[in-house]
Amino acid sequence: MANSKQATSAQTTSVAVADRLKGMLSNQSTILVGVMVLLVAVFGSIEPKFLSAATMNNVLTDWGSVVLLAVGQTLVVISGGIDLSVGAVVGLSGVISAWTMVNVLHLDSTATGSKATGGLLVGLLVSVAVGVSVGLLNAVLINKLKIVPFIATLSTMGAALGFSVIISSGMPIQGPANYELISAMDAKTNPFSWAILGSALVITIVGLFLHKSRFGLYTYAIGSNTFAARAAGISVEKHLTKVYALSGGLAGLAGMYVYLRLGAGSPSSGTGRELDAIAAVVIGGASLMGGIGRLWGTVLGALILFTVQSGLIMIGVAPDWKKVVVAILIAAAVAAQGLQKSNRRS
Amino acid sequence: MKRSFRTIAALGAVAALALTATGCASATPEKLTIAFVMGAESDPFFQAMKVGAEAEAAAQGVDLIWQGDPANYSAETQLPIVESVLAQQPDGLVLIPTDPVALQAVSDKAVAAGIAVANVDTHTNDLSKVVTFITGDNTDGGAKAADAIAKAIGYTAGKTYEVVIGLTSATATTNVDRQKGFEAAVAANYPGIQIKDVAYSESNPEKAATNVSNWLTKYPNLKGIFAIDGTNASGAAAALQAKNLVGKVALVGYDAYPANVQLIKDGVFTALIAQDPAAEARLAIKTLVAFLKDGTKPAQRDVVIPNFALTADSTDAEFAQYTYVATN
Repeated sequence: MANSKQATSAQTTSVAVADRLKGMLSNQSTILVGVMVLLVAVFGSIEPKFLSAATMNNVLTDWGSVVLLAVGQTLVVISGGIDLSVGAVVGLSGVISAWTMVNVLHLDSTATGSKATGGLLVGLLVSVAVGVSVGLLNAVLINKLKIVPFIATLSTMGAALGFSVIISSGMPIQGPANYELISAMDAKTNPFSWAILGSALVITIVGLFLHKSRFGLYTYAIGSNTFAARAAGISVEKHLTKVYALSGGLAGLAGMYVYLRLGAGSPSSGTGRELDAIAAVVIGGASLMGGIGRLWGTVLGALILFTVQSGLIMIGVAPDWKKVVVAILIAAAVAAQGLQKSNRRS
Repeated sequence: MKRSFRTIAALGAVAALALTATGCASATPEKLTIAFVMGAESDPFFQAMKVGAEAEAAAQGVDLIWQGDPANYSAETQLPIVESVLAQQPDGLVLIPTDPVALQAVSDKAVAAGIAVANVDTHTNDLSKVVTFITGDNTDGGAKAADAIAKAIGYTAGKTYEVVIGLTSATATTNVDRQKGFEAAVAANYPGIQIKDVAYSESNPEKAATNVSNWLTKYPNLKGIFAIDGTNASGAAAALQAKNLVGKVALVGYDAYPANVQLIKDGVFTALIAQDPAAEARLAIKTLVAFLKDGTKPAQRDVVIPNFALTADSTDAEFAQYTYVATN
């Protein structure tokens, strides 16, 4: 008797463990972590130098700017929209904050290290303000003029690019710089930089907002079903304004990150980054139809994207092939999610 | 009766128009108008060209119509611009054709309308009807970059040196010419220099920085970087500074953006290969004005303005001549 009882309980436990394992395996995050481990193993076995703090720093430094865009994009995508202006905002905010530091604060490239700190803080505020402004403009176009997000943000993207070229004459504006903020804390042992940690902190806060607050709940509700959300008493326009302003603000923050990296505000420094951000969001498992997505997935998606880009350079893949490989990766990620969902339904 | 009245009225109108036209033609010679249609306003290269064109137009006392697409370097956007400029009936046209084939017809149309045409930087396939074609020499610029890197790394025959090239895209003709010039010079004069890899920045300086950061990890003995344009130059300079490798890896860039010129003085760049777009524009306008005034043709139709290597040893005058000027 006792034996059979034990056996039954053991059976239930093993069933529970199996269920949990099955659940974990079909979990998006687990899949992404698995892909990440696989990529590192493949790249590392072909080029041992890939397994180094220096490579980790290269990947994380790229990740630090685009993840900010991708996190903002995740909110927009969950709400059922899209924000194409974020790449151009990186350029515009970088250029305007550089212009301000140089022409208003009269700081030039000779201001380095701690002498640059005050100027860079002002630059940070200006960058975020520029980003939020473009985000608010997007919201006005979408809410008041009823332009679909794709077209609304496409037009602000063009305008932002144009203004950044007008202000900068198409050339980078060099201002105060502090490369210590963007360099690895220790080239041999610690791949993190203050800028990377700053990005990580910001996305953690946004993650808490999305997954632990009413703000997040509303975002999912609007993306799942706008009519139901409205019927439930959510002020959809007001909430979307917040979402686009946040996406713009994060893009402004990314603009300052890229400024720190280049030591200059460059009008072309965000070129194409909106697509990298959208790729990270999609690899991370969010649905472009709205209502579905996890911030953690996007964070891993961005990490995978840059691991691949660094890895392909490190193992010496010809540059023309790099785009093809990245494209295959994105298609595979999306296809895998589709299969996984249909499996779950059956 | 009615019809004949109308005929007389029409004849009268034609006669009046003809009189006005001859009146115009016989007046004192008007100020010449030169139209200048460039590639893309956002490109600093054309911004610098604009400075030269405006200065020369003022010096020659001619009116300048400066036109071009704000951002897209393409035949589709340039064609309608050229058409609308021709409708203003300028005396001369300086054209930077964005495509050698697509712009041929409109260029021929201008010549047929009695407009003197000059090509700058790039040219249409049939140059027989243009007054002059003025360009910078990108192949020579690539060779000068190889010389600058060899000098910076103290090239000694028999030793090997690892070098990489940062490109913008596979198709930009300036990139292709500079790379060819660089590779030819390396093959001919510096066989010990090994070009290990190339990568594209897609006109984004942060992507250029990514490429260089990864190369610096992969090739710990990297001796030199040829950054083929202003974007790559900015990105490579940033990567070297972030990795604390300034002075340890020779960096030769292209395009004299003021920010990058400052970095020569700071020792980040070994050399910057500079073009002189302002000089190209000045010469084109000068040549057209001479041709329009008394039919003087240039001694040689095709003029190549060599690229120049700016280094820390360059004179202030050289820096002043080659540094791109911001117009805003």
